[in-house]
Amino acid sequence: MKRAITMNPDDNVATALENLDAKAPTSIILPSQEVVKEVTSKQAIPFGHKLAIADIKKGGSVIKYGEVIGNASQDIRIGEYVHTHNVKSNRMQMPEVWYREEE
Amino acid sequence: MKFQGYERPDGSVGVRNIILVMAVADCSEPVARLIAEDIPGAVPITQHYGCIPGEMVANTLIGVAQNGNVGAVLLVGMGCEGMPAHALAKIIKKSGKPVEWISIQELGGTRKAIVKGKEILRAMSEQVLTLKRTEIDAGRLVVGVKCGGSDTSSGLAGNPAVGAFVDMLIDAGGSAIMSEPIEAVGAEEPLARRAVNEDVGKKIYKMIGNEEKRWSVPGAQMEFMCKGNVDGGLTTIEEKSLGAVHKSGSRSIMGVLENSDQLLEKVPEGGGFYLQDGTHMEPMTMSFMAAAGAQIVIFVTGCGGTFGHAIVPMIKVTGNPGTYRRMSEDMDINAGTIITGEESIDSVGRRILDEVIQVASGKPTSGETLGYSNFSVYRRDPRLEALLKIPKKLE
Repeated sequence: MKRAITMNPDDNVATALENLDAKAPTSIILPSQEVVKEVTSKQAIPFGHKLAIADIKKGGSVIKYGEVIGNASQDIRIGEYVHTHNVKSNRMQMPEVWYREEE
Repeated sequence: MKFQGYERPDGSVGVRNIILVMAVADCSEPVARLIAEDIPGAVPITQHYGCIPGEMVANTLIGVAQNGNVGAVLLVGMGCEGMPAHALAKIIKKSGKPVEWISIQELGGTRKAIVKGKEILRAMSEQVLTLKRTEIDAGRLVVGVKCGGSDTSSGLAGNPAVGAFVDMLIDAGGSAIMSEPIEAVGAEEPLARRAVNEDVGKKIYKMIGNEEKRWSVPGAQMEFMCKGNVDGGLTTIEEKSLGAVHKSGSRSIMGVLENSDQLLEKVPEGGGFYLQDGTHMEPMTMSFMAAAGAQIVIFVTGCGGTFGHAIVPMIKVTGNPGTYRRMSEDMDINAGTIITGEESIDSVGRRILDEVIQVASGKPTSGETLGYSNFSVYRRDPRLEALLKIPKKLE
């Protein structure tokens, strides 16, 4: 089974340790390699990107390393891809456009 | 734990034995480079803030020249600059190492300066390159930690492994330093919890707050995160920062070292972990940490950065197994084994400690083997400091 890691037992997101296909059953592990639960990914999630391992309500805290990394800008369901499209920083927003690309 | 290093006249210790050829401003750099060419051990550097670059640049250049990795210094000036070579030479000379200076104008131009410069360097070579390494306690090591080109592997593997190493080094009596306030925006609290006392805790908040202010001017937001961070899976500045500060380990934060136009504070003797009021920009922060006394720097890079530093060997750690596979020639430590489930964080930390001791004893880093190094300095713009009303000191 594919794996995703949570750095702290309080986390509600896990980071994919390999590319996850949509509908892939995924073992959620701790840094000790212990499997804590199984979650099915709702979308394809690239290596290093995150999926929700619990439902997160709009405005709710997104938790990684046991600390708040931002708030959900919409309801997030367990197994969903978690990134800039549904999480906003509490500290500062990233620019929408990083640089101009020629069409 | 011991390593084989160089002892300097002022009691500092080094892991390299460099003859520094310092062009005090970039106008004299071409001549400095020609002087250093073909002289064993000679490393030319300069700065790019003009010839009246301000105290912050002067402090950095002086600190770098005083670093234990530097055995001797030749300063190369044009002659008309506002920060003259002889003024810097006078201060650096207090370290007791051989220090000379030349002025291109006084010597009568380029060719004459090159002849004179090479003559000085040859004499310095004879004096300095004959020095032998001696056994030195690892407690004398000061190691700088920095991450850049981060992806999520940095926060999951590379930085935690370096953090484990930092704890091991400090427990062995050594010191470590981290100098990137902006990378801690959103992670102030976990850092302040580690402050050795209330005063240090306050300084941590002040240092990070000041830096956030400097980069919150419209148009500057891009410095907080780069597109590569987001492409790699990092969503917010908090996530990036929490992952970044992992490399500082878990021991007490003994102090926040001042780095301003008033003073560049050095890492005190006695070991422990320190923060420095520096910058996040990699080659520049390496110079800040070197000026504060770091003899080695560790660079954690998920995406794979390929650069080095002119006077401090840089050990590159990647937590991304794919990056290690693609760029193994450039990397020194593969922490990707944490991601693949082959190795624990502590086990990689121990490998980093072994590597640091070997590099300190003369083993070339991958960057040194490939032959690349960088040198640049950074100054906070005094005009911006004044406009934003940022106090000169952290108190």
